[in-house]
Amino acid sequence: MKMKMKKLLAAMLACAMLASFAACSSSEDKPAADNKPAETTEKTEDKKEETKKDDTTAAELPAIGVTIYKYDDNFMTYTRKAMENAAKDVAVLNLNDSQNDQTKQLEQIDVLINQGVKALIINLVDPSNAPVVAEKAKAANIPVVFVNKEYPEGTDKIDYDKCVYVGTTSEESGIIQGQLILDAWNANKETWDKNGDGKLQYVMLMGEVGHPDAEARTKYSIQTLNDNGVETQELANQSATWDTAKAKDLMDTWLVKFPTEIEAVICNNDGMAMGAIESLKGAGYFADGKYMPVFGVDALPEALDLIEAGEMAGTVLNDPLNQGKACVELAANYAAGKDPLEGTSWKLDETKAVRVPYQAITIDNLDVAREAYGN
Amino acid sequence: MDKASKKKLTDFLLNYGIYIVFFLMIVAIIITDPKFVSLNTFTTILTQSSTRCILALGVAGLIVLAGTDLSVGRMVGLGGVLAASLLQAPDFARRIYPNLPSSWGFIALVILGVVLLLALASTVSGVMVATLHMHPFIATLGMQLILYGVCSTYYNQIGGSPIGSLNENFKNIAQGKLIDLGANGSISYLLIYAIIAIGIMWFIWNKTRLGKNMFAVGGNSEAAEVSGVNVTKTIIMVFMMAGICYGFASVLELGRTGSATNNLGVNYELDAISACVVGGVSFNGGVGSIGGVVLGVLLLQVINYGLAFINVDPYLQYIVRGLIILVAVSIDMRKYVKKK
Repeated sequence: MKMKMKKLLAAMLACAMLASFAACSSSEDKPAADNKPAETTEKTEDKKEETKKDDTTAAELPAIGVTIYKYDDNFMTYTRKAMENAAKDVAVLNLNDSQNDQTKQLEQIDVLINQGVKALIINLVDPSNAPVVAEKAKAANIPVVFVNKEYPEGTDKIDYDKCVYVGTTSEESGIIQGQLILDAWNANKETWDKNGDGKLQYVMLMGEVGHPDAEARTKYSIQTLNDNGVETQELANQSATWDTAKAKDLMDTWLVKFPTEIEAVICNNDGMAMGAIESLKGAGYFADGKYMPVFGVDALPEALDLIEAGEMAGTVLNDPLNQGKACVELAANYAAGKDPLEGTSWKLDETKAVRVPYQAITIDNLDVAREAYGN
Repeated sequence: MDKASKKKLTDFLLNYGIYIVFFLMIVAIIITDPKFVSLNTFTTILTQSSTRCILALGVAGLIVLAGTDLSVGRMVGLGGVLAASLLQAPDFARRIYPNLPSSWGFIALVILGVVLLLALASTVSGVMVATLHMHPFIATLGMQLILYGVCSTYYNQIGGSPIGSLNENFKNIAQGKLIDLGANGSISYLLIYAIIAIGIMWFIWNKTRLGKNMFAVGGNSEAAEVSGVNVTKTIIMVFMMAGICYGFASVLELGRTGSATNNLGVNYELDAISACVVGGVSFNGGVGSIGGVVLGVLLLQVINYGLAFINVDPYLQYIVRGLIILVAVSIDMRKYVKKK
């Protein structure tokens, strides 16, 4: 009896696992299956008189290998979706999730090269690894488009002629955020400067310590304010590792420590700004005239709603639509053996980088951000 | 000092060493910033500890069984994302499911659904541990990956961006204020749920057959089997109980945070497990108390909060947390070695 139970359980487990495998593979196998569709589609064409137009074009589309540093990064999810949209009639993307593990990513790149992709779009886990990737690609003569994470020395310093970078500069997001805060501060100084000392007392919610974006945004947002004559005083600066729940905990803490002193909350991303706002709401802000300016970066749809509701002061649009589009356009050109910029409106700067500009987003230009995210 | 009193002193240090460390740290925090001592600090720490406490209570039972659970965080993530997608404000323009009801009944249904789902997921881990004799580390590692995959696939399907603008009634369940002390903070409803959970778990651990069996299995599963304890059933039941805790904690954490991404809950298992260890739940199984777990959660949260309060460098905070765990475990091991 007991054995029977065990066997039954084991069989049930096996079934459940199989079912989940099937469910996974149906969605994830797609890009891989599309990789070598040439023979299969030809065979079906022979059998069936009516040839499907889509299939024949799909067979001719070049394969482009893509690795994303991790799939649970909000911003990269939008960029990935923009790539998929841009690639619709241009190329077949073979997408990989590197799970924030550089070793895993290098293995994935080996697999892509062996599969014979015509170009690579690489969102590095560790930006300093760009030359390693370039070396692999060079050996197989496959061009590379790096995206979003830039080789710190500059892409032009990599010893491979067929590689470019698409992205922004980390500093720029900080500078734009700084300007955003500067304009808002100058316009609202009367009410925002609670203690009337002319200085901006702020708390900073940092992303992951050591992350280039986190470091640059923290540094340049404040530097931009200072360079433009606004004196600042940092009350606290802690890392919430980009996380909403952690940001809320920290903001709770600071509201206890500085019940009246904080004049602005500056966050390295919108996710943390959302946590801070939730905490502020709990302490009675954004009602009965109690207000606190909160600034983020990313312009996520959820943040745009908060700006519209008057609960967030502003954010910085890191344009995923155009970054994704640029990557695919450049990679497709490379795959066709053309100059990467041919027929596009993009320009390379002196470090072989295509710079997609950041934009400050406030309640006055929400449409710009909404369009970039495709809603 | 004679031998007996010396031994007494070492015993005392061994038994209460970790609490002495905490005491010293708290004193250090207070000296650095005396403002730490306030009613507001007290209420904030209680609120922040509440969901963590429910999670720790769930995982504590598994540690008593000499097991562990690596899937806690991802359970919270899946539960949070599911509930968030179903519980958006009725007047929100970009609702994922525009036609869902928003009544109290529906909120209750969603909460119940999430609890059942996570209880089921945890039970599956339990079945694998109990019937296939899989190590809980491996079983829950597998479950962790599956849950994260399922959660991320779903999250991606429904837009791949933070899910917020939640139903205010739902948020109020978590964030509502039981006692509003104005500038001195507030006691949130979360605390009531934590206290209820503590009460129920205390009853199960101390007053029921399941609780007694759990300690017997954790202490020595062969001996328990021989003395007539249904080991398989006990293990599965404890896993299910943990899943129920995760289910409630996940919706409360969602209500507290106000939004969810597929990354919600990441590494929460580490917080929960460290709290249990600090609270004297032994990794060797068979030893632990609800009071210890609650104390562990509170102490860790005091330290977490305190380090942020005095603005300690984030890198240093990692070192401090790591040291706390090592000290706690080494004291636990000393006790264990002595017992042997």
